[in-house]
Amino acid sequence: MASQSEGIQIRVNGSLCQLEVDSSRSLLSVLRTELRLTGTKYGCGAGECGACTVLVDGEAVRSCIFPAGHAHGRTVTTIEGLAQGGRLHPVQEAFLEAQAFQCGYCTPGMIMGAVSLLRKEPNPTELEIRRALADHLCRCGVYPRIIRAVQLAAAKMSK
Amino acid sequence: MSEDVGQQREVPINRAGMTRREFLRLTGGVIVLFALAPAAEPGTEGQPGPDSAEDLNAWLRIQPDGRVTIFAPAPEVGQGLRTSLAQMAAEELRAPVSCVEVVLGDTARAPRLAPDPDQPTLSAVGMRVRAAAAEARELLAAMAAEKWDVSRELVKLDGGQVVLLPRPGTAVSIGELIGGRRFVRRLGRPTPLTPPSEHQIIGESIARLDGPAIVRGQARYVGDVLLPNMAYAKLLRPPCLGARLVRADTRAASAQPGVIAVVHEGDLIAVVASRPNLAEKATRHIQATWEEGAHPEMSTLYQGLRASAELAEPARQQGDVEAALAGARRGYSASYRAAFIAHAPIEPHGAVATTEGATVVVYASTERPFAHREGVAEALGLRASQVRVITTAVGGAFGGKDGPEISVQAARLARAVGRPVMLTQSREEELTWNYFRPAALIDVRCGVGETGGIIAWDCDVFNCGARGAWPPYGFPHRRLRSYRCNAALRQGPWRGAGGPANAFAREVHLDHIASELGEDPIDFRLRHLSDRRMIRAIQAVAERYGWRVHRPPTGLGVGFACARDGGSCVAEIAEVEVERLSGQVCVRRVVVAQDSGLVVNPDNLRNQIEGAVVMGLGFTLREAVRYEQGRVLTRSFASYPILTFRDVPRIDILLPASRDLPPNGDGTPALYAIPAAVANAVFDAVGARVRELPLPPASIRAAANR
Repeated sequence: MASQSEGIQIRVNGSLCQLEVDSSRSLLSVLRTELRLTGTKYGCGAGECGACTVLVDGEAVRSCIFPAGHAHGRTVTTIEGLAQGGRLHPVQEAFLEAQAFQCGYCTPGMIMGAVSLLRKEPNPTELEIRRALADHLCRCGVYPRIIRAVQLAAAKMSK
Repeated sequence: MSEDVGQQREVPINRAGMTRREFLRLTGGVIVLFALAPAAEPGTEGQPGPDSAEDLNAWLRIQPDGRVTIFAPAPEVGQGLRTSLAQMAAEELRAPVSCVEVVLGDTARAPRLAPDPDQPTLSAVGMRVRAAAAEARELLAAMAAEKWDVSRELVKLDGGQVVLLPRPGTAVSIGELIGGRRFVRRLGRPTPLTPPSEHQIIGESIARLDGPAIVRGQARYVGDVLLPNMAYAKLLRPPCLGARLVRADTRAASAQPGVIAVVHEGDLIAVVASRPNLAEKATRHIQATWEEGAHPEMSTLYQGLRASAELAEPARQQGDVEAALAGARRGYSASYRAAFIAHAPIEPHGAVATTEGATVVVYASTERPFAHREGVAEALGLRASQVRVITTAVGGAFGGKDGPEISVQAARLARAVGRPVMLTQSREEELTWNYFRPAALIDVRCGVGETGGIIAWDCDVFNCGARGAWPPYGFPHRRLRSYRCNAALRQGPWRGAGGPANAFAREVHLDHIASELGEDPIDFRLRHLSDRRMIRAIQAVAERYGWRVHRPPTGLGVGFACARDGGSCVAEIAEVEVERLSGQVCVRRVVVAQDSGLVVNPDNLRNQIEGAVVMGLGFTLREAVRYEQGRVLTRSFASYPILTFRDVPRIDILLPASRDLPPNGDGTPALYAIPAAVANAVFDAVGARVRELPLPPASIRAAANR
């Protein structure tokens, strides 16, 4: 793949960013290294663990295998952009309520995956949560609590 | 970049020279220091040599304004240590948790504590923090008593103040008592700890103090560190395990865009570049010649272990095992195996190092910052005091980040290029080049006497170590021999070390004997047990599951196992469904009862146990490092499948606590019993007795259809 530095414009967490980067570079690398948005994590570089999940135009994508160039002209939301006016997103609140983390490394990706799920399916069954998040890995094994957190968030958001 | 997107604070460079000594001398306050316990051997705690000045060993400091800071050697790795330590200090000081700050894993600010494999961190560190806080409490109470000219019994600490009991309303703030002066107290003599019956903060499920940062994406892991002028490094890896670099032509790599240097120092070869992706790309342009060594083969793993075995430590024995086995009415022998497994934290290994004159600062992702400090000092020819290791948040470790290798590599690269360097591993590197949990081969010989009870237990443990292998049962004749072996792959510390493999062998073997004798598996164990805590845990788990009353429907099976680890007792029941045609096992329900002594934070302990059940199911059902011709084949999450949302059973947790014992609570004990509970349930479901981890579906299928 020919790679060259070129101008890319991405709206990240509400702010317009003009970037001169190799457009084949992963969105994850650009977010973390160029924009210093380090909340999004590297876990596998192959789209297999979900730690790097961000929203592009509202859809969950694996930013580690998503070329930065594909985000040109689009809207990207990272974990840092979820809280509005200092108020946590209901999914973030629910993760706190359920204490749905241990080391916390997979948590930003889990939260973004859950936000994306609840946009499509505001009231998912437990099975739907398991299926939707099946490609998000948590080595600490906090899955049962994450399921509970997503259920809690769904309840909060439907109020 | 046109606009300010999530501007991040630059990390200030913390000089190694900014020592605890300077830090503690800055202002007044109360400082409680580490001191050798009278019984401790010299060198086991504290550090001899130039670093041993006593004011480097503060556990706790109360600032003149009453704020409390705890300094602890262990980091937060997701086990909730920060919160638990704050609770323990707050309890002893009768202060709100919110006024306690916890500094973890910074070698320039925390006392060194020799790791003790038999004592969980929470207990080792926590009991010292409690003692330090109790010491400070007694000092403050004595100062207030003197101020008011009353006896100690008439004052007490409450909510960050000292109050005069006979005259409610008379109180003095801690800040006022200290009055800008400096007080130093040394731990050593026994200080009364608050008895469990009076606990108000210990035993509460206080939410993790670092939770808000975690859900906002603000927790700072090692890959999130940013130092001015920082460069990014990528190692060039050998083509196979054990290969040696003969020569390398680095000219083409040096000319690649963004490359600052190609470092080739002995066994270390890496590209340092301005961006991580450029470093990685440039490594492909290094022309390296490797000499391949012996190629380890998985097919000969267990033969190799047996062939290379040497007794690692003197045999542990009680009674006369050989005579008892010879005289037994019936004998049962079998071998058990457990594969190499990978720690596979979602955060791969990483480190950031920077050199300043004769000193080095390393930001590390580890559970053992002091081991990293010593490793770096040794590799760079420095004194330990010239190296400062600052532990960041750790994205999972499980024993895999104990070894200092990556911090050493980052420090060597930073010294070579004269600027800060971040070195991180890819997923493939993480699953290939780090050490693994030792594979295990365990032989058990067991004799049953005239009354149907076990009279002799003889256990030979190859390669995985003896942890957890001494049976918790009162068999009259017992012997345990542990052998060191030449393992094919690099191996190292792991959560509970060989404990889960040893418990698997023992608990499956007991289940087998009970079944051969036609006895109930739980009753059979109970007749050999006298430990009241263990019996209570077993009864709790049996009652919750309904062991006596509930038989699972056809195709389902239920299995039991129990274990002891350090100061914890654990009993577990697993209910499984086995697909006869494929041999696939689906675990539907797990019930755990764990007595870990004093419970500091019940919700956190439940979280740890749930996680341990999930991780344990991973290496029970499918995790194994596979390799062939010296190449690790399991180099991605696709080929090394850890447990996912799809596999998680319903988990019930019971915490029968022994409040008078130290807090031993973490997830490790629950890891011990899960493999055997599941294997025994598989036998119950389809009659397949499987003695290998992970449980091979082919063996289950074959046995189930026999």
